[in-house]
Amino acid sequence: MPQSTIVRLEGITKVYGMGDTTVHALAGIDLMIEQGEYCAIMGASGSGKSTMMNVIGCLDRPTDGQYYLDGQDVAQLSDRDLAHIRNQKLGFVFQQFHLLPQLSALENVMLPMVYASVPTAERKERAAEALIRVGLGQRLQNRPNQLSGGQQQRVAIARAIVNRPVLLLADEPTGALDSTTTREILAIFGELNESGMTVVMVTHESEVARCTNRVIWFKDGQVMQSYLAPEDLGTVTAA
Amino acid sequence: MDWVESGKMAVKTLTANKMRSSLTMLGMIIGNASVIAMVGIGQGAQRLASEQFESLGPNVLFISPGSNQARQRATNLPRTLIWDDAKAIASQVPAVQEVAAQKQGQYPIVYGGLNSSSSITGTTPSFLSVRSFDVAKGRFLTDLDLQRNQRVVVLGADLANRFFSDQDPIGKRIRIRNVSFQVIGVMRPKGSFLGSNQDDAAYIPLTTMSSTLTGRTSPYGLDVTFISVSAKNEASVPAAEFQITNLLRRRHKIVSQDDFTVQAQKDILQIVGTITGGLTAMLAAIAGVSLLVGGIGIMNIMLVSVTERTQEIGLRKAIGASGQDILVQFMIEAVLLSAAGGLIGTGVGVGGTLLVATFSPLKAAISPAAIALAVSVSGTIGLVFGVIPARQAAKLDPIVALRSA
Ligand SMILES: Nc1ncnc2c1ncn2[C@@H]1O[C@H](COP(=O)(O)OP(=O)(O)OP(=O)(O)O)[C@@H](O)[C@H]1O
Ligand SMILES: [Mg+2]
Repeated sequence: MPQSTIVRLEGITKVYGMGDTTVHALAGIDLMIEQGEYCAIMGASGSGKSTMMNVIGCLDRPTDGQYYLDGQDVAQLSDRDLAHIRNQKLGFVFQQFHLLPQLSALENVMLPMVYASVPTAERKERAAEALIRVGLGQRLQNRPNQLSGGQQQRVAIARAIVNRPVLLLADEPTGALDSTTTREILAIFGELNESGMTVVMVTHESEVARCTNRVIWFKDGQVMQSYLAPEDLGTVTAA
Repeated sequence: MDWVESGKMAVKTLTANKMRSSLTMLGMIIGNASVIAMVGIGQGAQRLASEQFESLGPNVLFISPGSNQARQRATNLPRTLIWDDAKAIASQVPAVQEVAAQKQGQYPIVYGGLNSSSSITGTTPSFLSVRSFDVAKGRFLTDLDLQRNQRVVVLGADLANRFFSDQDPIGKRIRIRNVSFQVIGVMRPKGSFLGSNQDDAAYIPLTTMSSTLTGRTSPYGLDVTFISVSAKNEASVPAAEFQITNLLRRRHKIVSQDDFTVQAQKDILQIVGTITGGLTAMLAAIAGVSLLVGGIGIMNIMLVSVTERTQEIGLRKAIGASGQDILVQFMIEAVLLSAAGGLIGTGVGVGGTLLVATFSPLKAAISPAAIALAVSVSGTIGLVFGVIPARQAAKLDPIVALRSA
């Protein structure tokens, strides 16, 4: 299978504020992420990880630089087109789950398809499929407050993959979970990646990063090192 | 974005917070209910007044002392209208059928241990036919009674009933302002006119009224409170009005301003219509203000809701909602709130109007125009006052929205 490039960043910068208080959250990033990769992004707090996830996720525009998502130049797109790209090509998983409390698990997962104008009957079917895939086939009608943290994060993952995105982005998806639940969630990410999904995940824990097959290390808004093998991680964290 | 889904979502969001939603709707409910009830009651008052004047008959004209302007200013009416005027009209105006002169007063009436303060009308025999009254028992006043200043009285139905209950009042003597009068008749019940009970009344000869109760107070002759005239038919009303005016001007030697006013039923209806119409408009305007306040309440709550649901908005944008999708979502919520409030308020208003119609003489009526107006206005208010919060929601930056934990 010929590999295609999902993310290509060229000289991406993101500057916050102006005058004396400018912060270079991203200070010139060049990065490629190929189809089928499973990446972890690590780095100190404030090093720009979330900022970059937002740029990759088309939630934020870079101050400067080129960004090609799945071969398409997205830097110049309108807000409306970006919304469409987020809906069709990207899936997000957040640390705080961000489920809508008044909706059931099934309805939460159906939400992205509402904005994609998928026919109603198909929405239900696909949402149920996605929930079964993350192991929540028995909890379709439960509200978020009737689910554990791990279960809620699974609903969020199901919601992220239901529109079959080309890229799954997760910013500290296990940050709010205990170690057992973390392992379960990581197993799901692993399965998704094995079935061909490109996954990029921010994490602070090296055990989590070790499950991936590439670690991108951030410092002061720049990519310091991009390790291809998780075995190398031990030496870095020790250093 | 499909509308069915958006509608369902809005209903879900609104019902998730029932207390707040219903309190928000309360403004619209009160606004709508008051518009409909106020307009209904105002129009009821209008109809009641018109009907009562219409019941006088289309041929009737009233002549009262003082010019229109003078009567608006003066509390003490001029005593320029006299019985001789009435006699002159009866004999000299061809378009006129009959003429009744009336002198009104309010005096204590006593019979045995019972007493009452009732309206006393000194009048002439033609009063019955001109004003379409009827005698139930005994007889009415005659010309002879007037010529002889007889102390005789015809009682209104309620007054007779109060004093005599099942006894026969005919021939009994009652005291009006300490003067003894003999009861010669009882009127048939007539109902109330503009809020005053026409059956709680007593009728005595005009001449007796003047000589024994009021005393003569005008230098011109036997002054009267007003003169009722019936024209030959409806078509002759304008002619009668014109001829009476000319005659009185001549008799009163008017050079500039009239010291009397002639009004046909039509003129009175017009005046009543203007007054009650203005009243209705004023009531509606006041109620309209509460509708506006209701709209501002909706805007207020929607703004709070946008702030509270920042994360939801951020999340929706992250999974693909455009600014327009968010705008539509919040607009639908605002319009649903106000329209639902409008509908409930309409129900309350209609109920209130019907209640007033059943328990008061006001013939309060449900005005379809007022309902249409109130419901469409409340829908529009939802649209107008929903725009600001919805736009605020739509332009939220998804990152900022997501981060606000
Ligand atoms: N909206 C903003 N305005 C100003 N500065 C910002 C803004 N967002 C981020 N920053 C700054 O940009 C830098 C990078 O922030 P970012 O959130 O990307 O860090 P991070 O690597 O995700 O940190 P953490 O591990 O704590 O999540 C920080 O110095 C932060 O203060
Ligand atoms: Mg972060």
